[in-house]
Order: sequence, then C-alpha cells, then structure tokens
Amino acid sequence: MTARAYVRQTLETGWRTVFRVGWPRTDKDRSAAMISSFFLHVHSAKVKPNSLRAAYTFGLGLISFYMLLVLTVTGVALMLYYTPSPDAAYRSMKDLQFVVTFGPVLRNMHRWAAHAMVVAVFLHMCRVFFTGGYKLPRQFNWVVGVGLLIMTLGLSFTGYLLPWDQLAFWAITVGSNIAGYAPGVGESAKYLLLGGTVIGSGALLRFYVLHCVILPVAVVTLVAVHFFRVRKDGLSAPPGRAPATTAEAAKGGFPPSARSYGLMALADRPAQPVVESDPDEEVMAWPHLLYRELLLLLAVVVALHVVALLFNAPLEELANPTRTPNPAKAPWYFLGLQELVHYSAFIGGVLVPGLIVLALVLVPYLDPSPRGVGVWFSPERRRANWIFGVFAVVTIVLTLIGTLFRGPNWAWVWPWTG
Amino acid sequence: MKTPKPPEAGASKESTRRRFLLTTGTTTVVAGVVGFLGATARFLFPNVLYEPPSRFPVGGPDDFPTGSPTFLPNQRLFVFNSDAGFYSISSICTHLGCNVNHVASGGFACPCHGSQFDANGQVIHGPAPRPLAWFGLSLSSRGELVVDQRRIVEPDYRFKV
Repeated sequence: MTARAYVRQTLETGWRTVFRVGWPRTDKDRSAAMISSFFLHVHSAKVKPNSLRAAYTFGLGLISFYMLLVLTVTGVALMLYYTPSPDAAYRSMKDLQFVVTFGPVLRNMHRWAAHAMVVAVFLHMCRVFFTGGYKLPRQFNWVVGVGLLIMTLGLSFTGYLLPWDQLAFWAITVGSNIAGYAPGVGESAKYLLLGGTVIGSGALLRFYVLHCVILPVAVVTLVAVHFFRVRKDGLSAPPGRAPATTAEAAKGGFPPSARSYGLMALADRPAQPVVESDPDEEVMAWPHLLYRELLLLLAVVVALHVVALLFNAPLEELANPTRTPNPAKAPWYFLGLQELVHYSAFIGGVLVPGLIVLALVLVPYLDPSPRGVGVWFSPERRRANWIFGVFAVVTIVLTLIGTLFRGPNWAWVWPWTG
Repeated sequence: MKTPKPPEAGASKESTRRRFLLTTGTTTVVAGVVGFLGATARFLFPNVLYEPPSRFPVGGPDDFPTGSPTFLPNQRLFVFNSDAGFYSISSICTHLGCNVNHVASGGFACPCHGSQFDANGQVIHGPAPRPLAWFGLSLSSRGELVVDQRRIVEPDYRFKV
C-alpha cells in the first residue's frame, strides 16, 4: 500500500468513526443518518407534511430557539469584556461600544435578538393557541411553554440592568418596586431580588448571576423538555391526519405515536390501533425538514446582522440614582403592565400578571375538548379563539400605549408630536 | 427438627420492620430536603448590607435658607427651614421609587406615573398609595443637622435648633 493510499484510508476510516453513515444517498441512509446522530436525532426520520407548511407554524418556535442560540453565543462573547460592578459596568459598555473589535455588532445583536425573542415567543404562543396545539396530548407542553415565556421575560429583564445606564437603573427601580406590592411576601421578594434595599452592587451581581447562569440553565432544561415532548407527540395536525385520541392516552397512558419505535413499544397491544396515518404520506426529514431549518437559521442570522449593523442598541448616560428621567419607563414588554400600574400598582403589578399566568397555565385544562386541532381559527373553537384573541389584542394595545403614547409625568402624548 | 415460624408472623414482622425503615428513611430524606431548601432560602438573604448609612449629617442649620426647600439628591430627600423649625421629607415616591420634584405651588409631583402630593407630602392624586416619608432630625456634636431615615415622624414634626 502506498503512503498516499494509507493516509486516504485512515482519513476515511477516521471520518466514519465520527459520521457513521456518511453523506446519505438513499432514504434508508437518510433515516440512519438522522437516528445515529446525537444532534439530528431530535428530529424523527420522517415528518408529516403539515409540520413543514410555513403557513401553519410560521417557524415561530424555531425562530425563538434560534434567537436563544444567537443570544447564547453573543452573550458569552460579551461576558469576556463585562465586569458586573457599579464602578466598572458602564465602562465595560463604553469599551464594547468604542474599543472592542466587533463589540458594537455583538452588543447590538444581543440586544435586538433579546427583543426579537420576546416577540417570537409571544407569537409562537398565539400560533399554538389558534391552531389548538395545546390540546390532548400536548397539554403539559403548553404549560412548559408558559414557563419558557416567563423565563424569556426574566432573562430580558435581568439583562436590562447590566449596562448600568440611566435606562437600566430606572427601569429596574420601577420593576423591582412592582415586586414589592405582592401581598405578604412583596418586601421580602424585593429584598431577595436586590440583595439589599437599594439598587447597588449587590443587585447588579444578583441580576448578573441570574442572567448568565441560573436562568439560562433553567431555560435550556425547559427547552429540552419542550423539544422532547414535541418529538414524542409530533406537531399538531388536522383531524384525519392526527392520531385518534384514545381513552388510554386521555388517562395519561402511552400516547399514540407516529414514530416507528413508538409502534414497537405498543406492539403488545393489538387492541389499540396505533398507525396514525399511512407512513407514505410522511416525507423524509432529511432533506425536507433539515434544509428548511437551515434556511430559516440563515435568514434569522442574516436579518439580525442587518438590524445590528443599521441600529445601535441604546446606551444612555451613567446610572444616576439622584435624577429620575421623565418619564421613567420599564422595558417595553412590561409597558402594558406599567400602563395598568399607573392606575394601581397592586392591580397592574401583581393581580393582573398573576391572573394572566394562572389563566395561561390552566388553558389546556379549562378547554379539554379535543375538537378543532390542527387548523387556524377552527370554527369549532370560536369562543376560545375569541377570548384569547381579545387577550392578545389588549396586551398589544396596552404595550403600544405605554411605549408610544406616554410622555413626561406619564401624561398622554401623540407619538408624531415628538 | 426446628419448626419454621408461621409465614404470617414472619411476614408481619418483616412488614413492620420494612415499614419502619421506609418511614424513617422517607422522613429523613424529606427533612433533609426541607432543611436544605430552608438553608438555601436563608443564605439568599444577606446579613450585612454595604449600603449608604440611614443616619447621616446634611450640613449646618445656616446652610438651609428659610422658606425654600433644599433638595439633597444623593440622600434623596428635601430639607425645609420654616419659621417653626426644620423638617425633612423623602423624595422617594411611595408608588414605584422615582424621585419626586418640588413644584411651585408647594407640593410634589412624581415624573414617572403622575402622582401628586401636597406640601406635607400627603397624596392628593394617585397612584401613590402612601404619603411621602418624614424623617426625624437631630443635631450632631459638631452642630450639624442629622437626618435619621429609620425614624419616621408625623407631618407636624418640627425640629428647633
């Protein structure tokens, strides 16, 4: 054997120890490639055409996840130049803006991706609701999703303080004082969150640890559970193309699964029909799903770059506890609540958000009817759609009012009057 | 020949022992977890706060002109020198903690959510739920006015030098 042939053979063998299937050219190999890869195995080998339709999901869950990826990468990069202390934090921001190579792009991407993630997660929740995706057997995954929404807001909120500028300081002053209105535990909760009674070095360090360690670990864990359940249950589909809901599944038994090893797991139950649809109706995840996912990732990354290059993330002057800007606004996604807080701190800051979270968690259990799944705005679920639609519109309108129509002393202003 | 024990008695004894071990074990684990959670919660409450003192001198009585309020931004309070004596009112809005501004009419207005207070710091327009805090005053050995933010006093309080 020549040296060249030896090197070639060794490389090929070595390559095969990593990618056992190689580049798949047949459907069998494509299935094998999906199943044998740790990363690809989050997908099933075959998927329903319904879950590939862009107009069904709008890729919102995936976009939320991509935002999380971008935020992780840019966030870790920013950590290398950031010091979480009141003396140094703002200087770090100025360094990132003017001294660090690519610092502004990284910071801008991080800030805009954080905003985009809040929007994407909210829209994803609306999509799942309006297509009835929270119904049997996906009730618990909806609850996990509500948890992820809250954590997304928590991540964004804790990140808001870190620049230690006026915007950060006063948004967190308003936000943490809202926590103080919770009956009984409010003052303790605020003391716990701030690590003291004022927003100082203790609060900044706590927000930093929450933002960079505790909440990301919690989010990644919940995302794993969320994906695992999607993987097990598949995406919601219209009647006829979805597995029949069995009484056993309703009682919490093994849910009908489209996946092949799901069939094997159920093979000792001949009484229960387990074939949800003709497998031939399904398409190979490689390339149909994978290419779409890659294309969407590319689109998200390119869009974020464009936005980050065109628009700078805001950075006001150094935090000054003695001078309150007028008006002092919370982050935009809390401005709907701040608008309510303007009328009553308890109602807007504690009661309404508490009831919203409770109602969202209970949604799948208050609406147990299995009908109207898999299509947008199913007429069979008109009442539920109306209720959620009003909730979504009110949320958006209140947020817009707080963001655009409130000026000094929280008085009404028209945005076009400057 | 040794007679084996009746199976019922053995099973019962074993079941009692098993139940005892199970109960003891479970109780210990639960107690451990509860203790751990309690200790974690306690750990999160700091024992020492490296925060500005709540009792501090603000200057000599002559530094405060009669009739007009003096705003001390770093301490977030107003000091008033009236004919009846000195008094100090917090500038921290009781709604959500913004600094209130002193207005020409003699009261206070919060820039964040529009709360309004009269000259004594009493709420005349929401959403603030409580009046502005009044702080007790004293005189230090060096003749300086000292504000004690832990000593909350009534609005008729006046400190004579």
